[in-house]
Amino acid sequence: MEAFLADVPEWILWVAKVALIFGGLIGTAALMSLAERKVSAWMQFRHGPNRVGPFGLLQPLADGIKFIFKEELIPEGANKFLFRLAPALAAIPSMMTIAVIPIGTIVVGEKKIPFSIAQLDLGIMYMLALGGLSVYGAILGGWASNSKYSLLGGLRASAQMISYELTLILSILVIVALSGSLDLGAIVTAQRENGLWNVFTPFGAVAFVLFTIASFAETNRHPFDFAECEPELVGGFHTEYSAMRFALFFLGEYCAMTVMACLNATLFFGGPSVPLWPEAPWFLGILAFLLKAGFFLFLFIWVRWTLPRFRFDQLMRLGWKVALPIALANVLVVGAWVAFTAKGS
Amino acid sequence: MVVVQRKELTLAERLYLPEVLRGLSLTFRKFFEKPITRQYPEQPLPTDEVTRGQPRLVVKDDGNIACVSCGMCEVACPAYAITIDGGETDRGIEREPKRFEIDMLRCILCGFCEEACPKDAIFMSNELELADFTRAGLVYDLEKLKRPKSALQERIDYVYRLNNRWRSKQ
Repeated sequence: MEAFLADVPEWILWVAKVALIFGGLIGTAALMSLAERKVSAWMQFRHGPNRVGPFGLLQPLADGIKFIFKEELIPEGANKFLFRLAPALAAIPSMMTIAVIPIGTIVVGEKKIPFSIAQLDLGIMYMLALGGLSVYGAILGGWASNSKYSLLGGLRASAQMISYELTLILSILVIVALSGSLDLGAIVTAQRENGLWNVFTPFGAVAFVLFTIASFAETNRHPFDFAECEPELVGGFHTEYSAMRFALFFLGEYCAMTVMACLNATLFFGGPSVPLWPEAPWFLGILAFLLKAGFFLFLFIWVRWTLPRFRFDQLMRLGWKVALPIALANVLVVGAWVAFTAKGS
Repeated sequence: MVVVQRKELTLAERLYLPEVLRGLSLTFRKFFEKPITRQYPEQPLPTDEVTRGQPRLVVKDDGNIACVSCGMCEVACPAYAITIDGGETDRGIEREPKRFEIDMLRCILCGFCEEACPKDAIFMSNELELADFTRAGLVYDLEKLKRPKSALQERIDYVYRLNNRWRSKQ
């Protein structure tokens, strides 16, 4: 097996990696749709879906089949082209961002295969650029639907994503300054070499809290899910969507959540490094990464079923008057600290 | 006029994050509690003598139904769910229903028929489930309504016990 793996041509490895990672991402998204319902059920003393397959594990499959066979409606007066484009714009960028996440290193004999699709020097820039694109899915979907609820949902989504993106970027900037690289792999390596995850450094801890809050807003999750605030906006920007296009918005949301969870684990929790055991074998590293990302995925659901929704002005106040100044101050202090110590040079 | 005094929030409460953590710990503790859901088709609702389910006709121990098609239940029924066509019989009671139908879609399970019946022929059973693919299938005829007396005995005893409270003691 090892000899075989050592000899396979490079391109087969690439294809295998792409298939594994994208398949894993979409599988995670499908499982998340089940986990969301299961966890919410358990928190409310219910059972959750348990009819399809053992413990309801095949529920995502049943949902998928249903989504595919449902009738697709396009409302009258909708901009058909944009209406069809928006779900793809919501789903594809959030799926693409997984490419730069370093999930670990596969070691086969002497060969070390980095387990990520791309090792970009500007990995974080790539993520943020594509993450910014996903706003278009929400706002175009809202605008093209020719419905007031959708439009308001889309407007809210874009306002919220743009305001929290600042905080998100600034909190990532702190980590970039501390590690001296925009490459996610290098950030992981820096944490491993320091023997200290970024979350345990004072600036990193502040950045971690801000990043987590901002990531909830970025992915339109509770308590910041104004884009689809049911009591006020029916379904928000996807009110008019049905069948698979509707499912694509959800796929996009869950993929974005997964990527955010992975990013959180990578930036602040050392990615695939095992705590207190730097020499751990490679598969434990991958397991550690999956556990860390899994925890943050659980956190997304956990928070959703705990907190009430904010009011929109409260959300904006928190974003601009609280989170952003703290993030800015954090960046300034870290910048000064990096500049005036030998670190980073 | 009602004046609601807003509670002055402490610093920790206004910071929000400690309260978030408190909420998270609460939901996490509840996470492991036993579900209280009844898994309905597998775990049916418990029924007892007081359960007022769908009306059923008593089949006496000799195999004949107790109904003499007097039409009292038909009259008592507030939903006009009961239809009876009476006919003659060679049995000592001389009359029995040729057709006895209860439209279960109309029946409101009020139990008036049970009260009205002078011959203890119709009783509210503990059967509650009602489903079919057609409306016609839910109009129950004689064959569907017949139940042996033993199956309804609990309810019959209960109704007797209730009525005995008002019977004069002679």
